[in-house]
Amino acid sequence: MEFYLAFILLFPLAGGLCNTLFARLLPRRLSEAVACGAIWASFICALLVFFNFTGPLKVEYASWLTAFDFQAPVTLYLDQLSLSLALMITFVCGLIHLYSIGYMKGDPALARYFALLNIFVFAMLVLVLAENLPLLYLGWEGVGFCSYALIGFWYQEEKNATAGRKAFIVTRIGDIAFGIAMVWMYRLFGTVSITQLNSMASLVPAGIVTGLGILLLIGATGKSAQLPLSVWLPDAMAGPTPVSAQIHAATMVTAGVYLLARMFPLIGASEAVRAAIAVIGGVTAFYAATCACAQRDLKRILAYSTISQIGYMVLGVGAGALTAATFHLLTHAFFKALLFLGAGCVITVLHHQQDIYRMGGLKSRFPAIYWPFLAGALCLAGFPGSGGFFSKDAILGAVFARGGALYGSLFALGLFTALLTAFYTFRMLFVVFHGEADNSRPLSPSSGEWHSHLPPVMTVTLIPLALFGLLGGILDLPEYLGASAFLSGFLGPIPGFAGLVQAVPGDEVSLQIIAAATSIVGLGLAWSRYTGDRRAASLAMEEAGSPRSDFFLYGWYLDHLYHLLLIRPFEWLSRFLWKRIDESGIDGSLDGLARFTARLGGVPAGWSSGRVVTSLFGLAGGVCVVLAYLAWRVLG
Amino acid sequence: MEQIIFYILAAVAVIGTVLAISEKHPVHAILYLVTSLFAVAVVFYLLMAPLVAVFEVILYAGAIMVLFLFVIMMLDLGHPEKGFSPHWREWLPALLLSLVSIASLVMVIVSRHSQLAVPAAQSIPIREVSRRLFQGHGVAVELISLQLLFALVGALYLGKQQASSPGLPPSSAPERVSGSEEKSP
Amino acid sequence: MIVPLEHILILAALLFFLGLGGLLAWRTNLIMMLVCIEVMLNAVMLVFVGGSTQWGNADGQIFAIFIMALTSSEVSLALAMVVYLHRRKRTVNTDLFSEMKG
Repeated sequence: MEFYLAFILLFPLAGGLCNTLFARLLPRRLSEAVACGAIWASFICALLVFFNFTGPLKVEYASWLTAFDFQAPVTLYLDQLSLSLALMITFVCGLIHLYSIGYMKGDPALARYFALLNIFVFAMLVLVLAENLPLLYLGWEGVGFCSYALIGFWYQEEKNATAGRKAFIVTRIGDIAFGIAMVWMYRLFGTVSITQLNSMASLVPAGIVTGLGILLLIGATGKSAQLPLSVWLPDAMAGPTPVSAQIHAATMVTAGVYLLARMFPLIGASEAVRAAIAVIGGVTAFYAATCACAQRDLKRILAYSTISQIGYMVLGVGAGALTAATFHLLTHAFFKALLFLGAGCVITVLHHQQDIYRMGGLKSRFPAIYWPFLAGALCLAGFPGSGGFFSKDAILGAVFARGGALYGSLFALGLFTALLTAFYTFRMLFVVFHGEADNSRPLSPSSGEWHSHLPPVMTVTLIPLALFGLLGGILDLPEYLGASAFLSGFLGPIPGFAGLVQAVPGDEVSLQIIAAATSIVGLGLAWSRYTGDRRAASLAMEEAGSPRSDFFLYGWYLDHLYHLLLIRPFEWLSRFLWKRIDESGIDGSLDGLARFTARLGGVPAGWSSGRVVTSLFGLAGGVCVVLAYLAWRVLG
Repeated sequence: MEQIIFYILAAVAVIGTVLAISEKHPVHAILYLVTSLFAVAVVFYLLMAPLVAVFEVILYAGAIMVLFLFVIMMLDLGHPEKGFSPHWREWLPALLLSLVSIASLVMVIVSRHSQLAVPAAQSIPIREVSRRLFQGHGVAVELISLQLLFALVGALYLGKQQASSPGLPPSSAPERVSGSEEKSP
Repeated sequence: MIVPLEHILILAALLFFLGLGGLLAWRTNLIMMLVCIEVMLNAVMLVFVGGSTQWGNADGQIFAIFIMALTSSEVSLALAMVVYLHRRKRTVNTDLFSEMKG
């Protein structure tokens, strides 16, 4: 058991190291095989662990950070939450690795790509399986680094490198808050073990718990691209599409949700923190959904939808529905990875054309892309019966069950967001796949030529994801359907996951009917607008743009706001420090000092001219000084 | 009487020296210096050191100065218009240092005036001087004679250098080393 | 003793520092520098002889004689060098002899 657990982590690490160290020696095929094999081996280990799983398990492998009474050993904690996440991560990432073989065909830096991807999986698994906060932080920063390096993977283009830096810096703001919270917890409780911390909420006043909770929330907003630190994720789409699928949709961005869920027994003790989490989640979900409605870049639509869906998860955590949030996290990982991979296929056949207004009619040409993509869209839109429907509805139901003005309005907001979600999802689907095929304009040197030979591995990997997305609901069917809620039962024993206020079955049924209706209304709106005769008119109108749509297109001008509020003053300050303080002040004085000493040294250097008279003058001067001193002594 | 002669001689020595060091023509400078040396020799005689006075005249004014004149003539340096005489800018620091030093030293000497007793002057016979020289300072005498030998060898060596220095024009006159100094001790 | 020792010392000091000043000033002519050194040595001899007379001790005169012998050897060697240098550089200007620059 401990053996398999360790190998879940070691396989991706070994694969990554292998690709890092021997990249130049390995043939291309072997490099791909090592990378994919490592992840799938890790997945098999996770499966073995799953079948042998009997209860929460804490295994200490080695000591890591030890200073006085500060202990942070390499300890893995395996419970239902981390196990289910580890299974999901290894499975989804394994599929994405396979997909990458097709997508990255012909890229010269393949080994670097796979090395980073493997190390990312390792870091993500460390994050999920860590028992203490420093180890979790190690994984946290590890995924951040890999994300940075992969966003800027095609670093020759300035835009991509800038996007990578932006992601790194913005998430760093959240990481600092998380780091502060970690140190503070150690000061308060004398331990950094998550399991111990979670049992100590009653030992400190509610105000301190609130402070800790807010700090952790800021950390989570950074990593999970929630408001107000959401601005990096849309730009992060500059990386290769499988990277977007793996890191910025399926796994890494859910780390914030995982952190909140993991620490929920501690921070959930404070009502204010729960409300803050819920508000952030709800507002972010709404914000991102509105932005997604106006985007015209295929990957940016998906990026905003990711932000929105994670907003749902955070809302679920805030409402105390940890099981529902985890459920949504899992189904979201499947269908969002699916959507991104489908988008990657579309982008590949259109030679890196990402503008949806330059697409259309792909349905008949590429049914192998269309049908899985449709499955993903149904899940995202929460179409009745799909995995996304049940998970999203579980969150909304939990929010509704909390009652009260705050949660009531959040529920209404969530419901409206669901409508928007269905709308923008099907807008994307209809615009890209329906309509006239002539509308598609690939970006290629020989324009008009479609890339008709898609590597089969790219479309094949979509199928299992589509199946898992559509059927993901089986994991946790509502009780009124007569099925046993597998996930609820599985996750139930974890502290904080049980004891949730359950909605009355009658209410639950009516809620689900409302949610289904919302989803179908959104679908209908999109259908009426983007198909048939009105399609051309709608697209022309949207492409022309308007101030209102620009507002959403640029994400509520959040980037501009930050630029104005933070970056401009920072640049001014930097320039002031650089020009005035550094160059004029410090450099100037040092240069002056250097010039002065050089001149000072030049004086005696001039004496060593080798000329006789110089030595004689020195001699005579010395005699003169001695005599003058004697005379002064005599007179004095 | 002797005092007056001393002061006259002192004035002659100082003026002769001043003229010697300020004269542009080297031959004239040497001749002024010979005058000054004669004056000093007479001062030695007045100080009851006739042996030193005689050597001063024979060696300094006679041999050494003649050697200087020989070299000046041999190198054909007796043309002040061709050489560089010191500019006032070179005289100024030299004179400044000298004046400060002289002033300080004179001040020191004068301030010690009262401490020096003035015993009755007495003559030291040459026989006494010679005995002290060869009995008390025998080793020093040997060293001095050795040094004169080294000087002779060194001068000969330097004079023979023209053979081993390619690119230099051969010297017209043979190196001139006076053998007369060896007799001096 | 015909005059006080101080007067002899003052005379010697005058001669010595005149020689020193000349030595510093005549950097353009090596011969004149040597002449100035002679003046300085002469002043030193004067001090020795004056002391010898003051205290009735023959050692002062003996050292004056030593100085004379040293001077003669120094001058013969120095003038040999002057001839050598003049043969190499066709000048006696000491400012041009700066090969010992470190």
